[in-house]
Amino acid sequence: MSGKTHRTPLLKVENLSAGYGGMHVLHDITLEVYPAEMVALVGSNGAGKTTLLRALSRILPCTGSIVMNGHELSGMTPDQAFGLGLVQVPEGRQLFDRMTVQDNLLMGSYRRQDKAAVARDLDKIYSMFPRLTERRRQLAGSMSGGEQQMCAMARALMAAPVLMMVDEMSLGLAPVVVEQLMEMLAAIQRDGVTVLLVEQDVQLALSGADRAYVMETGRIVHQGLAKVLIDDPAVQQAYWGL
Amino acid sequence: MKMWKIGLVLAALAVLAGVPWYGSDVLIQFGINALLLAVLAQGWNIIGGYTGYASFGNSVFYGLGGYGVAIAMVQWQLPFAVGMGFGVVLAVVFAVLLGIPVLRLKGHYFAIATLALSQVMTAIVSNVGIAGQNIGLVLPPLNNDPLFYELSLGLLTIATLTIWGMTRSRFGFGLIAIRENEEGAAVMGVNTTLYKVMAFALSGIFSALAGGIHAYWVTFLDPASAFDISLNVKMIIMAVFGGPGTVLGPIVGALTLSTISEFLSSEVTSIAGLFFGLVIVVAVVLMPRGLADMLRRMRKMGWGYFIENIRAHRL
Repeated sequence: MSGKTHRTPLLKVENLSAGYGGMHVLHDITLEVYPAEMVALVGSNGAGKTTLLRALSRILPCTGSIVMNGHELSGMTPDQAFGLGLVQVPEGRQLFDRMTVQDNLLMGSYRRQDKAAVARDLDKIYSMFPRLTERRRQLAGSMSGGEQQMCAMARALMAAPVLMMVDEMSLGLAPVVVEQLMEMLAAIQRDGVTVLLVEQDVQLALSGADRAYVMETGRIVHQGLAKVLIDDPAVQQAYWGL
Repeated sequence: MKMWKIGLVLAALAVLAGVPWYGSDVLIQFGINALLLAVLAQGWNIIGGYTGYASFGNSVFYGLGGYGVAIAMVQWQLPFAVGMGFGVVLAVVFAVLLGIPVLRLKGHYFAIATLALSQVMTAIVSNVGIAGQNIGLVLPPLNNDPLFYELSLGLLTIATLTIWGMTRSRFGFGLIAIRENEEGAAVMGVNTTLYKVMAFALSGIFSALAGGIHAYWVTFLDPASAFDISLNVKMIIMAVFGGPGTVLGPIVGALTLSTISEFLSSEVTSIAGLFFGLVIVVAVVLMPRGLADMLRRMRKMGWGYFIENIRAHRL
């Protein structure tokens, strides 16, 4: 963490609180994400990870401040935040099942006007995900879970994201598939996209990310370099029962 | 679209436009009814077929369009065209004011809420003085069926061209994305609330115009007939029969079902409803996704298409 403090964060969240109705779920969340890094947000079921993502992407109202690239997001609507490059790969993928893979990817570029750049990105993304090239004319809903997750990530990439938030990528997928997806995520990060990875699988997230925040009952309880946290006895005890 | 398809559509349009010159009075009157129903089915197609929100409130737009014309012509002595405009304004205001809360509901809940709206409208309008309360309004008669026929055909053409243009636009793709996966659409930056309200309003505009033409044609309007829920059921059946979410499906559905219904009521009179119900049941069993889907997939699968659908129903 030290050594990065002199850089300006891409995303700076301060004292964020949010909830559903009268129930508070998130309490005073403060975190920073720097350009081109991969940050993991880990924690067990019900820790508030997805709620935090929903607040960041403006689907859920919140108090506190969210600043991305110098813009204050807290008063924005979801599509305005999306316009700044805050793109989500939602939990459960949320693909357009009865549309083809190609149409799903094109829906990713829905808000972009520059057709030439969109066509270039489409080619690039197909070369990144050869599996999707084979299946470009197939209905998205008819693919396997791993392929659907790839498709969801590719669709998010088509939106030309600045910050890509990936929610529960590993959910319900075989370990070997998850491994492939992590490699792809690393490639996306090398390409200059900042990644915020939200995961229940603590070991997976910590092995791939640069830094991590650990959440518990709506608060951030640990933070630091992922390779340090992975050996932290407190984290190990809390999540792996060691 | 291929050239022969455009030619076919234009030829069909020419045949329809010529009806007042070669058709009987009965045929023209049947045509006005069928064309207005086709407009309603197309209107429903925008919100129900493309956006995936099965609205039972579209008959409200139809009623508001009728009252727009009736109030403007009877109470304010304004011309018909102004009345049509007034009806459209009423429909858009209604779509925006009620669409914003009601379009938050999904599936059955949306259907029930819109159904309730259309029931409440009868009660509300029965108590509005300017709308003639529950006695209704009598419009100045205009005995010119060919004119009403061509007006209805023109409206149907405009509605269809609008939908055709919509399916090729960013707006149309946004609506289809909402139908396929609303959360996915929101995540991809589609302003879902705005789009749904716009689709509801657009659907309302065409329904209101159809209501306005109908009110002037029959020269009488009362709350029970203006906000008739069975009309809403009819437009849904017609759109679904033809193929919801397609450009021409609802027209084919409306014209086919109107013809079958007319034929039955003249041939078997009192038990026509029974046979009509049978037609609908058979259609639902054999082609649950409409005529358009049947025509597309019959080419590939042949008669196996029907067998597959029957199996899907576990009959």
